[in-house]
Amino acid sequence: MNPLTSSQQLLRYSIGLVIWLLGWCVLLFFDAHFDPVNLSLILVLTSALAALWLPLSVTLLASVVGLMAFNWSFVPPRGTFAIDLHQHTVLLVAMMLVNIIIAGLMVFLREQSRRAQAYARAAEELRIWGDKLRDASEPIVLLEDLHQALDRLAGGDSHHPVALVTIGSQPAAIDLPTPLQRIGSINPEHEEALRHCLRTGQALGPGTGHYQELDALYLPMRGRSMTSGAAMIAGITSLDAFPALTQAQALCDQMGAALERHHIQQQERQARDQAQAQTLRNTLLAAISHDYRTPLATIMGAASSLDQQGERLSDSQRQQLARSILDEADRLRRLTSNVLQLARLDAIGGKIQGDWESAEEIIGSVMHRMRSHDPQQRISAKLESNLPLLWGDSLLLSQLLENLIDNALKYSPPESPVNVSAYLDKSGGDKNQLVLAVRDEGSGIAAEDCEQIFEAFQRGDHRKPGAAGGTGIGLALCRAIARAHGGELEFHATATGASFECHLPLRAQPVNPEPDL
Amino acid sequence: MSLRLLLVEDDRELRATLREALLVEGYQVLTAASLAEAIAMYGQTQLEDSATQAFDLILLDLGLPDGEGSDLLVRLRRKQSTPVIIISAREAEGQKIRLLDEGADDYLVKPFSIGELLARMRVALRHRGNQVRAAVTRYEQGELVIDLANHRVSRKGDTVHLTPTEFNLLARLVRSAGQVVTHRQLLVDVWGQEYLEHTHYLRLYMGQLRAKLEDNPAEPRLLLTEPGVGYRLMETES
Repeated sequence: MNPLTSSQQLLRYSIGLVIWLLGWCVLLFFDAHFDPVNLSLILVLTSALAALWLPLSVTLLASVVGLMAFNWSFVPPRGTFAIDLHQHTVLLVAMMLVNIIIAGLMVFLREQSRRAQAYARAAEELRIWGDKLRDASEPIVLLEDLHQALDRLAGGDSHHPVALVTIGSQPAAIDLPTPLQRIGSINPEHEEALRHCLRTGQALGPGTGHYQELDALYLPMRGRSMTSGAAMIAGITSLDAFPALTQAQALCDQMGAALERHHIQQQERQARDQAQAQTLRNTLLAAISHDYRTPLATIMGAASSLDQQGERLSDSQRQQLARSILDEADRLRRLTSNVLQLARLDAIGGKIQGDWESAEEIIGSVMHRMRSHDPQQRISAKLESNLPLLWGDSLLLSQLLENLIDNALKYSPPESPVNVSAYLDKSGGDKNQLVLAVRDEGSGIAAEDCEQIFEAFQRGDHRKPGAAGGTGIGLALCRAIARAHGGELEFHATATGASFECHLPLRAQPVNPEPDL
Repeated sequence: MSLRLLLVEDDRELRATLREALLVEGYQVLTAASLAEAIAMYGQTQLEDSATQAFDLILLDLGLPDGEGSDLLVRLRRKQSTPVIIISAREAEGQKIRLLDEGADDYLVKPFSIGELLARMRVALRHRGNQVRAAVTRYEQGELVIDLANHRVSRKGDTVHLTPTEFNLLARLVRSAGQVVTHRQLLVDVWGQEYLEHTHYLRLYMGQLRAKLEDNPAEPRLLLTEPGVGYRLMETES
């Protein structure tokens, strides 16, 4: 129960007094026209009205005094408390009883409605608090809000300072004397009690049934299976001094539940990340054992042949061997680069360091490098003019294109064209996307392989085994790069072959300098 | 007199291979396997002395057993402009950009081919001592002629009109033809120190330059992009 503040009380007494004065004026006004029986009804009315505003005791006192004054002023013989007629005695006694009953009922009703309002307020506060906790990405940021709410419940003054502690984001830290996240000033004694409260999950202090002799209230923030924090409201010596205990505990428990939920989510995410990292490590090892051995075998074979059979080989044979060493070394270089980038992207959690990049430049630099692998000029590039700038990592994006072009060259018939293009995809409404696409006229890919083809190291079965060195990891990296840019790598089978498209979301373009002429 | 090279590389195999290949090309090659050895080779006095240049070019590995190759670059750059080409297995763009900004002439990521290395060395040697020699003012490549002194650019005999900013950007690349010029260097030299973060200016103006100077802007042959690092104007054939 919130004690009424003095100004509110004063207002209520004033209104009660004014009602009584008005009632008395009406009585005096009608005195000449009505007999005392009728006048008495006005007195009852006045008393009932005043009871709406005055507390029970004052109402009763006012009715008695009013009745006596009525007797004195209006019941003959006037000017005395004596009563001439017996029926007037009955009237006065009946009036007295009616007044008392009305006053009692009024006060009772008022108390009922006040409680109902208080409950509604408390429930509303809990509901809003619950919504807030649910919407927060990290409930810990709402500690300050909880602090304020408890402070309000405690009266908001310096007599009842409020302090909070919670374990940090690491749930394992409960039993350790680890630094707790705290709000408000806490002395060592409070600290001890807060830690006890946190450990046991029990409320301590007056009215809680535990350590009643304490001069502060300690409330745990309880979840289903763990306590994530504790709140202290100091300067509480008895339950009467802090009637909002239930409400405060409910607020704390909601916080506790939210913190616990957050902890569990974090643990799940960690477990998932670990499992993923494990899978990645395994697949990397698989890659090293399989995809590295083949080019290494070629290099070893060619180099040892040069070393041991050198004089017996013709010039063209030696040239041939040197050539294959170079080619396979280049394959290893590409493979290593893919593995490293995939591991790096995985390690940074897909958060790239971006800059404004131009699709024209990315394609241009890739074309420049790929030409040396393309003596027959199979690759051609086509760009839409005035393409917007991309926000991204140009090294990663060029690696993506290089991998896709490399695959296209490998898996489509010799001399068939490979087309690189960049264009704006306006199909997504106001969310335009920039698409980097590589199309070939190869055998295409079976529908069931479409998804699998992206998973690391799973090559489409129809491919010639062995010829596809490292394609799986190449595509897995391409997809990881597209996703790290907030985009997606899509595969489409076309009428003549395969098309890999990297869809990248566009950002609001930077402000360009004034054109100079 | 043949050119003197210092090769600082701790891996024995790579050191021997590179040395042989460079000897075949007619260079005089001295090798060092550690930072201390390289400094000793240089001679303490000569390293700090601006008058004498003990070597014509240095090939420098970064991760050396007794320290970072970049330390040698920094000490050397206080006084000397001897061309330095970094050869490293490290691929992080950040490091590449930092070393180029600190005065390295080029940065080759291992593995690289001998052909690639020789090409980069030729460019670095051509730019040797640019600070003292008259700056490059003329660039000719195929049908493109850039005459910085007379502010004239022509392609296939026709004058190409460039805006002042386009011309400044092109001029900056011409002065370092064949070499990587980092985004930072271009932005500072063409626009000014306060435009360091405005990479998108470069994207815009390089796009305009390619549209005016390249046959096929989608496959540039002159204005080459080094993703994440900067730009390189194709070296002239001469």
